Amino acid sequence: MSKPSEGTVRAVSTFVAAFGIGVATYIAIAESGGGAPACLAGGGGCETVAESQYSDLAGINVAVIGIVGYVLLLVTALLRGDGARMGGFALSLAGFGFSVYLTYLELFVIEAVCQWCVISAILMTVLFGLNAFRMLRYAGRAP
Amino acid sequence: MSAKKERERRREERQQRESEKAEDARRQRLIKLGSAAAFLAIVAVAVAVVISQSQTSGGDTNLEHVAEVETGLANIPQHRLTLGRPTAKVTLVEFGDLQCPICRDFAVKVLPELIENKIRTGEARLEFRNFPILGPESVTAAPAAVAAGEQGRGWNFIELFYRNQGIENTGYVTEEFMTSIAKGAKVADVPRWNHEREGAPAEAEVKRTKHEAERLGFGGTPSFAVEGPGTKGLEPLGTLGSLGEFEEAIEGAA
Repeated sequence: MSKPSEGTVRAVSTFVAAFGIGVATYIAIAESGGGAPACLAGGGGCETVAESQYSDLAGINVAVIGIVGYVLLLVTALLRGDGARMGGFALSLAGFGFSVYLTYLELFVIEAVCQWCVISAILMTVLFGLNAFRMLRYAGRAP
Repeated sequence: MSAKKERERRREERQQRESEKAEDARRQRLIKLGSAAAFLAIVAVAVAVVISQSQTSGGDTNLEHVAEVETGLANIPQHRLTLGRPTAKVTLVEFGDLQCPICRDFAVKVLPELIENKIRTGEARLEFRNFPILGPESVTAAPAAVAAGEQGRGWNFIELFYRNQGIENTGYVTEEFMTSIAKGAKVADVPRWNHEREGAPAEAEVKRTKHEAERLGFGGTPSFAVEGPGTKGLEPLGTLGSLGEFEEAIEGAA
């Protein structure tokens, strides 16, 4: 099977990042009124997570940090060249690492799982895979 | 092969070698840059984790929110771990663990308004029953709340503990920490509190409420139950989230 072209990788990254913006925006809006995102499978996990002390980082809602991250990843997917490849890789690695930490908090500290956060963590993992592939395969080559 | 062709061949070979060298140098430079980017990303995550953890560090003896707790509970009768007027028709019961961060969030985000709307008005009473499930430090903390309740300062102790909570089972529930909570909660006779929290009656009371929570089918904290003229005994509510849900449960039980 032939490896996907950089154009394909960038197109998929663009789509995934746009989807991520949607998910993070939904969580941020749902939480902004002191509420919580509606859980797809019920159970109140999202409410517990949204109300926990970990839902803010230095006074900024974690979902808002997520929106900023996805927007930057969207920009790196749209741009060509080594700068974008490097930026996308670094950002997605940070996003992936932070998602791992948040998932750990959900499972072992807050002991509640919010499906919207899980969706975001999966999207971030996919973006990390795509950006790592783009960096390793295409860095140093003509855009 | 003519000398001219030989020269051309050598030149091409040299050019190819140079181009390969340049490509190699470029890739080396990119690997270095990539490593730097990865390092920065890891540092960014580490900083985020440190900030996230530090805002929840707590667990020291420099107590916070002492005045806020005092004001929030001022002039509301307390008997053991029950807050509110004895004449209130409805009793809302919280099965909580003093180490539980979600119980803390309930205490900080929902309870102040619930106290003002339903407890201070005399519509309902709020009873805390220990359900220590998060580990050895929860077991140490629970009877201390019972002992504070014996001196009419149970809810001050609970509320202050929640607001100064550390990270579960990190060794923060020390004698020193609990004594500072008791003093902050204005437990009048600290030596008596110290003696009683280690005594058999407080331990038995914690065991009793823990068994009760298990009998009601609860598996996590905080879990709630309500009792009033509109209920058949103590009815389990499970985990509630918003102020509205609590008010509805109280009104339904009245």
